[in-house]
Amino acid sequence: MAEILLKNAYVIDPISGINGELMDIALSGSRIVEEASPKAEVIDCHGFLTLPGGIDSHTHYSGTKVNFGRYMSPEDMRAGRTARRGPMHITSGYSVPTTYGNSYRYSALGYTTLVEGAMAPLEARHTHEEFKFTPLQDSFANTLFDGNWGMLRALEDNDIKHAAAIIAWTLSAVKGFAIKLTNPGGTEAWGFGKNVSCINQTIPTFDLTPADIIKGAIRANELLHLPHSVHLHCNNLGTPGNFTCTLGTFGHVPDLNDKRQSLYATHVQFHSYGGSGWGDFCSKSEPVAKMVNLRPQIVIDMGQVMFGRTTTMTADGPMEFNLYRLHHDKWSNHDIELETGSGIIPVNYRKKNLVNSIMWAIGLELALLVENPWQCMLTTDNPNGAPFVKYPEIIALLMSKRYRDAEFATIHQDTEKRVPLPAIDRELDWHEIAVMTRAGQAKALGIIDIGKGYLSPGAEGDIAIYPLRIDDIDPSADYEKVIKGFSQTEYTIKRGRVVSRRGDAIIDGENTTFWVKPKVPAAYDMQHDTAFQELFERYYSVRMSNYPVQEEYLHRNHCIETETDL
Amino acid sequence: MNVTITFRNRRNRRNPFIPIEAEMITPDAFFNNKEICVGEGNRTVHLNELADVGIEGTASSVDEIEILIRGDASLVKRVGEYMTGGTITIEGSIGMHCGNFMSGGRIEILGSADGWLGREMQGGEILCHGDCGDYCASGYRGGRRGMRGGSVEVIGSVGDFACEHIAGGDVLIHGNTGDFACAEMKGGTVTILGDTSRVCANMSNGTCYVYGCAAEMIPTFEKRGTINHEGLLFHHFRGDVANRGNGDLYTARFTYLQ
Amino acid sequence: MESRDVPCPFCGCLCDDVFVTVENNRIIGVENCCTLGNAKFLSKKRLKHPIMRKNGKWVEVTYEEAIDETARILSDAMRPLLYGWSGTIGEAQVVGVHLAEEIGALIDSTTSVCHNPSILAIQEVGHPGCTLGQVKNRADLVVYWGCNPIEAHPRHMSRYTTYADGYFIDNTASDRTVIVVDIRRSEGAKVADEFVQVKPGGDYLVLSALRAMVRGKSDVVPESVAGVKKVQLQRVADLMMKAKFGAVFFGLGITMSRGKYKNVRNAIELVSELNRRTKFTISAMRGHFNVYGFNEVLTWMAGYPFAVDFSRGIAFYNPGETTVIDLLERREPDACLVVASDPGAHFPKSTIEHMAAIPTVQIDPCVNATTALCQVQIPVAITGIEVAGTAYRMDGVPIRMKKVLETEFPTDQEILERIVIRIREIRADG
Repeated sequence: MAEILLKNAYVIDPISGINGELMDIALSGSRIVEEASPKAEVIDCHGFLTLPGGIDSHTHYSGTKVNFGRYMSPEDMRAGRTARRGPMHITSGYSVPTTYGNSYRYSALGYTTLVEGAMAPLEARHTHEEFKFTPLQDSFANTLFDGNWGMLRALEDNDIKHAAAIIAWTLSAVKGFAIKLTNPGGTEAWGFGKNVSCINQTIPTFDLTPADIIKGAIRANELLHLPHSVHLHCNNLGTPGNFTCTLGTFGHVPDLNDKRQSLYATHVQFHSYGGSGWGDFCSKSEPVAKMVNLRPQIVIDMGQVMFGRTTTMTADGPMEFNLYRLHHDKWSNHDIELETGSGIIPVNYRKKNLVNSIMWAIGLELALLVENPWQCMLTTDNPNGAPFVKYPEIIALLMSKRYRDAEFATIHQDTEKRVPLPAIDRELDWHEIAVMTRAGQAKALGIIDIGKGYLSPGAEGDIAIYPLRIDDIDPSADYEKVIKGFSQTEYTIKRGRVVSRRGDAIIDGENTTFWVKPKVPAAYDMQHDTAFQELFERYYSVRMSNYPVQEEYLHRNHCIETETDL
Repeated sequence: MNVTITFRNRRNRRNPFIPIEAEMITPDAFFNNKEICVGEGNRTVHLNELADVGIEGTASSVDEIEILIRGDASLVKRVGEYMTGGTITIEGSIGMHCGNFMSGGRIEILGSADGWLGREMQGGEILCHGDCGDYCASGYRGGRRGMRGGSVEVIGSVGDFACEHIAGGDVLIHGNTGDFACAEMKGGTVTILGDTSRVCANMSNGTCYVYGCAAEMIPTFEKRGTINHEGLLFHHFRGDVANRGNGDLYTARFTYLQ
Repeated sequence: MESRDVPCPFCGCLCDDVFVTVENNRIIGVENCCTLGNAKFLSKKRLKHPIMRKNGKWVEVTYEEAIDETARILSDAMRPLLYGWSGTIGEAQVVGVHLAEEIGALIDSTTSVCHNPSILAIQEVGHPGCTLGQVKNRADLVVYWGCNPIEAHPRHMSRYTTYADGYFIDNTASDRTVIVVDIRRSEGAKVADEFVQVKPGGDYLVLSALRAMVRGKSDVVPESVAGVKKVQLQRVADLMMKAKFGAVFFGLGITMSRGKYKNVRNAIELVSELNRRTKFTISAMRGHFNVYGFNEVLTWMAGYPFAVDFSRGIAFYNPGETTVIDLLERREPDACLVVASDPGAHFPKSTIEHMAAIPTVQIDPCVNATTALCQVQIPVAITGIEVAGTAYRMDGVPIRMKKVLETEFPTDQEILERIVIRIREIRADG
């Protein structure tokens, strides 16, 4: 078995309780071990910052919607083209790179694990096909249930166990990892061109409110003992005044799990807006962050916006249509029968635009106002707020008040009256950044047990070594160095092998797909449930037998079996 | 500095129909004394393999560079791409994508030009004495802004989709255009001295003059009466109403497909 | 032996409810399938050995020799073209894209000659679409524009539209309105509640007029547009605005008539406009069973759905320049590999002449019109009958094709992989 000995690594490993220690790390095969044999390849880390491999807990990088973002955007594709080099294939695309583009660029940033934010079950096979061509990162798929007719019908009957059984069948069938709700109820309403505007409003087709769906899914999630919590994209994304909806949603979340949160709310920047319209649009990061501070059962991610061109893509079909009406640019929509929706439009976030400037501030405010970094993950909701290649700049902004002030001086001048950012002095430290980019994700996703997010013996050999000697750097002043250091690792190690060196992928790689299989008693096995079969027979356009994703699509995979309370 | 590039006859090459990609033939590259390589299919070759290159004199700025292209350059693509100054004169015809993205300087083509002449041009001048292929002064696939500045003049006729997505600059076409000239027009001024077809479809802004006949007029333009322009009577249309457009189309004559 | 729920490897509908009966490794019965699919399942003609032209005559050769010859042709070429792909699975297409990348080839699919304009239009304005089940359950208005589902996609109407039951549709016969737009009264027109006959080449103008009407600007529209009376246009616009869920399906009638992608763009923009008032979607009636799959594969690997030129080491895309017909008309390619399609049967004469003039290799189970243009043909197993793998339905839903017969023939994927290996060996030998 191949062995590597990392010498002189300056380690920050929040899960293991290591905060800046010069030490050696031994790797054997795919895992971190106590000791390496003398045969081990020695890599001298020269005291460089060494972190567990980065984990992106919410990113759109694989599947129907992402690929359609590429398909419809030759102008974006030509913006990021690189030639074939060594084992690296050609890449295209800036905001929605090709699969290889995503993989190489994430690897250069030290990321070894990615969670696809939204996989439609009916089209899951596509997501898994693209996972295969994202060779340098392990993959997890959040699976969309917001408009799942089977689940909604069970919730309508107030039969949580039945809802859980449908979730269990679907996750196992499509090789998904967690329950994702995107604008619950809204995507079903969008089937006839409508939306929901409040979590207490009854949705069309089913006698349920978004709040019922969220609460029901949370309870079902815990009945199944899934590693991750419900992963929620709240209702009303992007609308002025939506923070009340966000607060209302958070208020419904019970604390049901002592190992992790009970709700992961994603891209909360897009859900922390005040005002009654675009005219008085303002930041409401403070009440939202305060709510998170009071409720340990909630974890959020930022959904930071950075200026420039990008492509927005989400299962939230009605929201994308609203954006289209604002921008009058190209618009794609793809509703998925009995399950969910999706939409895509390109955007350009501009500093001259007041709304865009406020959005930029809100994301940073959330990260700075949430006191516990384990409750706020660093994301851009890639590529919605910005392409992930902007992460180093976001890290630097969080670590440096001076950098924030310098940037603030360049954005729309009225922003100051609408946001609290200028008054926030907090500067995050290296440890907090390590939590917000890997350790926190591992905990929130519930994947520490499978060796993710830390560097002690037994962990997966996923490591990022950045060319940063942090004792020599004052991040508050040297923010340029922070950006540079986080932009390109010296080494990225995946499953015990060096996969990326100074920005170049050096091997072709092969990833692992993680999925869950709740162990369900026969009475709750939907495979043989006649009403469930009838749903396929009558309303789906594919046969039930052709729906599950076959094992052939999981070249390397790790099935996480869970005991359930059914 | 005078640069003379004489393309040799390619009859003795393995496949004379393979286009040459010559994005390095720009005053800028010669000014920076770059080694000029071109693509011939999937091989990269030195320009000397395909052409005789003569250089006389020196230059203290890009604008002092004059490139003369002789011989058969009708399959040579991307000449003058991204050029910022100086001049390129082509004695014969030129291949696709001549003057793409150019922001300054001047290109004169004594023969004809193939498709995508001056695509996404930002500034500078192009004068083509012959005809021009499809997508003259247009944009890229999926792009929403085509030509943005500068000027293009074609003495002959142009193919289909001329000035598609044009957002700025001036285009003068002495002859006729093919179908869908000025489709999706967003700005700039286009003057067509000959006839055209389905002109200004879906335009949102900009101005177009047609001195000949606009055949198969798009039915969703609002008639605004007639005006006198340079001593001639033009029908004034605004549109495209289907696209919430505010463009101006002036045409001497027009017909609908009924 | 009986196999249920077999997806049909014929058209883009990818009906996945076919019932196949096999006896002694031969298909003896096919149920639920249309006549086109039936013929495919029951076809028995095939090429038994690789063949190669030697001194002007076809000679049977080994797979090894055929692959070696193909590898030599491709590694020698300066502008190789890899064409076809729509009749094979994604797993083989992936190898084709890697091959193209490795040798600096042009790669294009049958998309180029069917829905190429649809993609160009989508790249300009996007695509408001949905899966077919969404139409089946919800659409109370269906528009077939420039397509003939009865002949080209025989089960489209019974599975997804006119004759399909749906959750929100109590009585499919009376609850769904059907509009057919075409230049001639086709079979489909007979089942239409409203038939709109447009003058050839007039689709764009009619679509513009409808857009203006949906915007409430009927006053600018002249009394007649491309042969259609304004009163009828207004009636159609009203039907569209009144619908709760409208679904437009379009075909080659608008993609391949004058104006091409501008027609499709205008149809998409009409649908986008209608979404401001009600729910509307639009979908292309894709032809080959996996034509959409190739678009998907090439997009995630190279960023573009078809017509990619890898010759400069990066992916370059420009339909009109890098598309198969244009390339062959300009006589650019100096070698051609055809996989899983039959360009010889329907390409223009000048392009076929060029294919015959250069070394062309075909990978296909059967002798077809393209065989006559080839130097080498390598027979393979029949995808979707003898080979399992991924195909993408016309609406983007990925479906796993099944293997119902055993075979000794190698798959497309295996042959392509062997070609790649052989090319590497040849190159390593210098």
